[in-house]
Amino acid sequence: MASQTLEIHRSSASMWGTRTGIRSLPTVAKYVDTTTCIGCKACEAACQEWNDLKRVPTSQDGSYQTMPKLQADFWNLIKFNETEIDGNFNWLMRKDQCMHCAEPGCLAACPAPGAIVQYANGIVDVNPDSCIGCGYCATGCPFDVPKFHAKTGKMAKCTLCVDRAEVGLEPACVKACPTGCLSYGTKDDMVALGILRVKQLKDSGFKDAILYDPQGVGGTSVVTVLKYNRPELYDLPADPHVSMGVKIWKQVVRPLGVIAGFLTMFAVFGHYTKYGPKEPPADEGRAA
Amino acid sequence: MTVVNDAQPAVITARHTDNVVVGDEIIRHRRITRLMHWSVALTFFIALFSGMPIWTPLFAWMAALVGGMEVARIIHPYAGSLFFIASVFQFFHWLGDMRFRSDEKGAWKPSKLMAYMRWEENTTDEGGKFNPGQKVFFFAVCLGAIGLLLSGLIMWFPLYFPRIVRELSILLHDITFIFFLIGIITHIYLGTAAEPGTFRSMTRGTVTRRWARLHHPGWFRDVDKKG
Ligand code: HEM
Ligand code: SF4
Ligand code: SF4
Repeated sequence: MASQTLEIHRSSASMWGTRTGIRSLPTVAKYVDTTTCIGCKACEAACQEWNDLKRVPTSQDGSYQTMPKLQADFWNLIKFNETEIDGNFNWLMRKDQCMHCAEPGCLAACPAPGAIVQYANGIVDVNPDSCIGCGYCATGCPFDVPKFHAKTGKMAKCTLCVDRAEVGLEPACVKACPTGCLSYGTKDDMVALGILRVKQLKDSGFKDAILYDPQGVGGTSVVTVLKYNRPELYDLPADPHVSMGVKIWKQVVRPLGVIAGFLTMFAVFGHYTKYGPKEPPADEGRAA
Repeated sequence: MTVVNDAQPAVITARHTDNVVVGDEIIRHRRITRLMHWSVALTFFIALFSGMPIWTPLFAWMAALVGGMEVARIIHPYAGSLFFIASVFQFFHWLGDMRFRSDEKGAWKPSKLMAYMRWEENTTDEGGKFNPGQKVFFFAVCLGAIGLLLSGLIMWFPLYFPRIVRELSILLHDITFIFFLIGIITHIYLGTAAEPGTFRSMTRGTVTRRWARLHHPGWFRDVDKKG
């Protein structure tokens, strides 16, 4: 859903993006307060509508959740995690979507130049025209977000409504949320809001409330207030980071392979200049 | 109308028979062998030129050779699979000639290899149709082809496998490919510039007596004895 006006900070399979450094744009972020989410799914509907996504059948899996997982045509899913804590039933809502990581694993893994970009404002977006549908991004993402569209074979995910963000509007989900548990603004403002809310929660007895902004991926542009400091209860990874396998692949094996390839070429030319071709001696006939 | 090749008995014999002397030439690879080897080579290079642009943007230009990145992603696994199938045929075709002989024990040692590459190998070490280096390369390629196939199949259908399996597959595919890259550069060099007279054994199918005596003295003796 490529933006036409935002400068690109980072671009997959490229040395750098198109950011000139002349304009300075603040990082934007979405604030999610799971403690005031009532599970109304207005954000799900708004996302489908604004992004013109086709209607996806819901599935009944013994929970109020719309479907088990995100899909290529469904980018924003409220997870209805049912848990018992201290003998009390808890409904831990969580907004599942692309987290817009500052250090996105999807972008690191993507082999197609420009298929995944990170704009100067921090939004991570896919360019379907450059995507080759290889699935590497799904391997690179610590949040299991990118999904493949069966028909086009391209990756699709939340764009943080980049088309709205670039004209100064809040994302569609934020606009639709009736309880105010979603907010949108600069990352600094959203973190400040989160810290304030966490303090409030602590004061009212939820001693281990936290603001989920995982530093393993450099922080995310979706910051989430959690009542309990147990991300796994919310179906979130406790310490997400770009996996070791992806790092070894891109940062160790690949450069070593390139060097090995060129060294072999040099060795071959070096060998030829030193030893020349192996020719039979001239005086050889049938008597052998 | 004269058919030019009728005047070339070696070429005609090379259609169906190898390891025989015809005139001044020796048939080294008969037609079926050459067809097999070129099938392996062709599918390998299509896989290579469609895999390398996906590997690193440094070789993104290679994508143009197969029709762009999207085409590369689509044809690569098919070309790779065909490469594997061609390799299986070649494996059984060549297995007999690739068996290590008792007089080749230890011939694969690095010191021996270095001596070979300095063109100083021991000519009394007579060997068979293929030298120990070629045999090692042959089995390494077969093993590598299995590694590429297994990891490649997982990468082809990533959504059916857990993340850790996909990551390990990519690493295995990459590392195996890197060995192939080193191997293929060396293989082509030895088959062309470094050892003149070798390439024609894969085109015309024949080699000269001098070539055979220098590169494969044991094989030369056996074939020459047969007449
Ligand atoms: C044996 C059957 C093979 C299969 C099924 C296979 C499949 C794949 C798949 C699915 C990918 C991911 C990219 C894509 O979807 O196109 C891939 C990547 C790749 N393949 Fe293969 N392949 C095979 C053989 C080969 C061979 C023979 C070579 C080298 C000569 C090769 C070199 C590569 C390279 C360099 C990459 C990029 C890896 C990276 O991104 O780090 N493959 N292969
Ligand atoms: S599927 Fe598309 S976006 Fe994902 S890694 Fe492959 S080329 Fe990049
Ligand atoms: S959550 Fe996944 S898809 Fe979104 S930016 Fe992070 S790594 Fe990429």
